[in-house]
Amino acid sequence: MRQHLIELILFSTYAELRAERSRSYLGLIWWVLDPAMQMAVWWLLVDVILHAGGPDYLPSLLIGVTLWQWMKSCMIHGGYAIWSNLALVRQVRLPPLVFPIVAMLSDTVKFFYIFAVLLVILWICGYPPNLAYFGLLPLFVAMFLLSAGIGFVLAALVPLLPDLRFVIEQVLTVVMYLSGVVFMLSNVPSPLREILALNPIAVVMDAARGILMHGLWPNWVGLTKASLISIAACAIGAWVVTRFASRYPKLAA
Amino acid sequence: MTNEVLVELRNVGVAFSAQRRLNDNQFWALEDVSVTLRRGERLGVIGRNGAGKSTLLRVIAGILAPDRGVVKRGPVSCQLLSLALGFTPHLSGRDNAVLSGLMLGLRRREITQRLPAIREFSELGDFFEQPIAAYSSGMTMRLAFSVAIQVEPDVLLIDEVLAVGDAEFQQKSGAALRARMGEGHTVVLVSHDESQIATLCDRVLWIEHGKSVLEGSRDDVFAAYHRDLHLVEAAA
Repeated sequence: MRQHLIELILFSTYAELRAERSRSYLGLIWWVLDPAMQMAVWWLLVDVILHAGGPDYLPSLLIGVTLWQWMKSCMIHGGYAIWSNLALVRQVRLPPLVFPIVAMLSDTVKFFYIFAVLLVILWICGYPPNLAYFGLLPLFVAMFLLSAGIGFVLAALVPLLPDLRFVIEQVLTVVMYLSGVVFMLSNVPSPLREILALNPIAVVMDAARGILMHGLWPNWVGLTKASLISIAACAIGAWVVTRFASRYPKLAA
Repeated sequence: MTNEVLVELRNVGVAFSAQRRLNDNQFWALEDVSVTLRRGERLGVIGRNGAGKSTLLRVIAGILAPDRGVVKRGPVSCQLLSLALGFTPHLSGRDNAVLSGLMLGLRRREITQRLPAIREFSELGDFFEQPIAAYSSGMTMRLAFSVAIQVEPDVLLIDEVLAVGDAEFQQKSGAALRARMGEGHTVVLVSHDESQIATLCDRVLWIEHGKSVLEGSRDDVFAAYHRDLHLVEAAA
């Protein structure tokens, strides 16, 4: 049963990516072109027009925005996944967690393409590869689990309360501004910095910038705390989905 | 047929909400249905529109959990014969066959082994490798049926789907399904076509307004059902 579910999740992820690729003329190229264009817009705005934030600001902003886009897409696409698959839920007996997991995995595959673009830009800008890159692995795992946890909770609630869709984007925009996506935590004055550092997203953003720009290993204590919060979020999210699982087949699409 | 009980429903009720509204009243699609399904049995379910037949199949399949009553299911797979499950327009016939097969409970290697048979049965030829967005509705249904007929659960649940496609394929698909039902599988069949239930089923359950009225041998249940229909027509 478990192996069958793994096969189903992996093939569904492949199918979703392949279908998305087939929906446009340029297909796979958009996965790279779209984030590259977004980064170019930020460069134009921050570096060329505003001359804002000093020499390190643009790369740190690109890192923050790239990582945040991945987390946000996992939360939103994962959050809508059960709701958008209600027709399937009514026809077949499957654990509803399958749907958000597939959405998040396909977003993660696309993220790796985007991240490759980011790395090339960073190397060109004078931030070469370094040994601390190995620290990205636990960082990404923590980020994925945190996004998955929030995505699971949303996935559980959106089918029961579809009105939530109208507020999720706004709430996530606020979360973005509170999470050090567009500013570096180190630039925030105390005691606000200590308060913001309680946010696990801000911790992982700071750690990612340290690795990619300065070759610094993550603060392991901070990362461990963020990981524990992420694991707890994931477990709570999975529990909430399972708790409401029997209600979804009874909902109208 | 053995006496091994695969699925047992006792006084099962299932409630739905009519709309997504606060304080919305529920309605009971199934109110009080009891039935026992034994290995090798072919059970037909009859009843008027809205009697709860399709809901009953989804309870047996394990898709719907009962809001009251008890469902006892042995360690068996119960699968609703669903056509075009998970079909995605931009994927090829082959990819859709794999995806749909996985959703219907097949393992990846089982589907891979059966792909040549699916391709042959669906009569799609080279279209099998093309996105199904390019298919006619008849071609899509041929592929859908060819995948669904590959699934071999312990209990096969069929909701009206007995034949699809054009006249020629209807004959072929109908024959394939009747052959499957005749192989000694346990089957629950919902159909408005009494002749099909009379031909294919050993036992019949009659439900009305979400309640089981009578369960028993085909001839006894049909006789009672027809008596009731005539009474209703006479009263009208």
